[in-house]
Amino acid sequence: MVERSQKEIWRISPWLAISLLIANFILMAWDARTESNQRILRVWIQSFASFVQSPVAFIVTRVNDYVDSYLRLRSAASENELLKQRLHELEMRLQENELLVSENERLKKLLELKEGRKYQIRMANVIARDPLKWFGTLIIDRGSSDGVKVNMPVITSGGVVGRVTTVTLLTSQVMLLTDEKSGAGALIVELGKTGALGVIKGTGKRDLLEMRYVSGSVEVNIGDSVYTSGQDGIYPHGLKIGEVVDIVKGSTTTPHLIFVKPTADLSSIKEVAVLLYEPPKLDEEILQGAEGKGGRK
Amino acid sequence: MDQTRTTIALVLAILYQWIARSVAEPLALADLPLIVVVYTALQGNTIRALLFATISGIAVDALSGGLLGASGFSKTLVAYLISEIARRVYLENILLKLLTLAGASALSVLIYYLSHRLLGQAFSDEVFNFLPYMVFMTLIAGLPVFLILDNLTIEKLREARKTDFFSSRRQARRRNPIRLGRKV
Repeated sequence: MVERSQKEIWRISPWLAISLLIANFILMAWDARTESNQRILRVWIQSFASFVQSPVAFIVTRVNDYVDSYLRLRSAASENELLKQRLHELEMRLQENELLVSENERLKKLLELKEGRKYQIRMANVIARDPLKWFGTLIIDRGSSDGVKVNMPVITSGGVVGRVTTVTLLTSQVMLLTDEKSGAGALIVELGKTGALGVIKGTGKRDLLEMRYVSGSVEVNIGDSVYTSGQDGIYPHGLKIGEVVDIVKGSTTTPHLIFVKPTADLSSIKEVAVLLYEPPKLDEEILQGAEGKGGRK
Repeated sequence: MDQTRTTIALVLAILYQWIARSVAEPLALADLPLIVVVYTALQGNTIRALLFATISGIAVDALSGGLLGASGFSKTLVAYLISEIARRVYLENILLKLLTLAGASALSVLIYYLSHRLLGQAFSDEVFNFLPYMVFMTLIAGLPVFLILDNLTIEKLREARKTDFFSSRRQARRRNPIRLGRKV
């Protein structure tokens, strides 16, 4: 590398700083322009990062499982001080089996979910979380080679998790429902009993969503379920999102402000399912509608 | 050699940032790439600090839900400000370095937040609740990183500084026969 004198560095650095700041600002403005996160730079860096993240995710999962089983073993030992060595061994095995059973049940639930849906599903493991604290995104180990596309819904047996925002060949980035930016997709939902429509928006908190624009004259109760309406062009109809936990009551002229707790456990997701669902195109719907009206005449 | 060491440190810091949150949530609060950037800026390597700031910022942004280039922008601005301060103020003491790191961490988060707001992006106001924790975690991580990097690079740096700043003065002293105690 060329050695520069300190004076030369001091002369160059303001210009370099200005040009780098302008370049970063242009990149930011360009990224802010559209809703989609599918940028070639993101795709390249994410593809590269997946080679680091996948093995780390694997190791972390194994270590967590080991620590869990160790902690369980310790608590069992303190509760059963008088039991013999044989019993300890059996307990160890039992705990290992418990882990396997819980994993089996989790996978079974997901399989049931797979069988119950009419859409094709791709199971995926979470390999990383957003490197910055401020955003709720996940990286999963399924990409365009598995048929995953931008805006496809991501779910668990508990309910909706979010949607795919960036796709690389082997991995995808998923924006959680709770992310504040997820509201940009205008997730239109309906309340279970009344069928009243509203819009769900992330609050930035991991276990809380806001439901807005529900007419103040509609009766809403704590515990009511919230489902996707299928009208936002991203999620199909009838996926469970969560349950109402709090209501700021509206009136006939002001809408309710409803707080919804997602039924999917977003804080400790290990496996998810990507729904290979693409909403019908608007043109086709309009054409079908027009044909239907024409037929009636 | 120094360049290679700080570059390796930056690559490791970026890799850490990519995986930290998967390992444990609080680990993501420490901004390791910023620590390396601040260290490089404090050493007086302004050009390298600026390039490190932009590269590490974009590398982290690419995997984040935030705007691409926002971290690069905030880190580059912070790197430039710190190298300008380091040029004018003597910051060789480790406590002063850590104080500078704390300021850099807070400023970086604020610029990051403001750049999102400026471009009309949704951003959680919880940033102000987490800011002290983030500064604290960055400081905790910064102390060992500074000490390790100092031990790796300080000898070279000292040699470089001696030749850079004092060479002309020394030559003058050598030429002065009276000071050297010689009889004229």
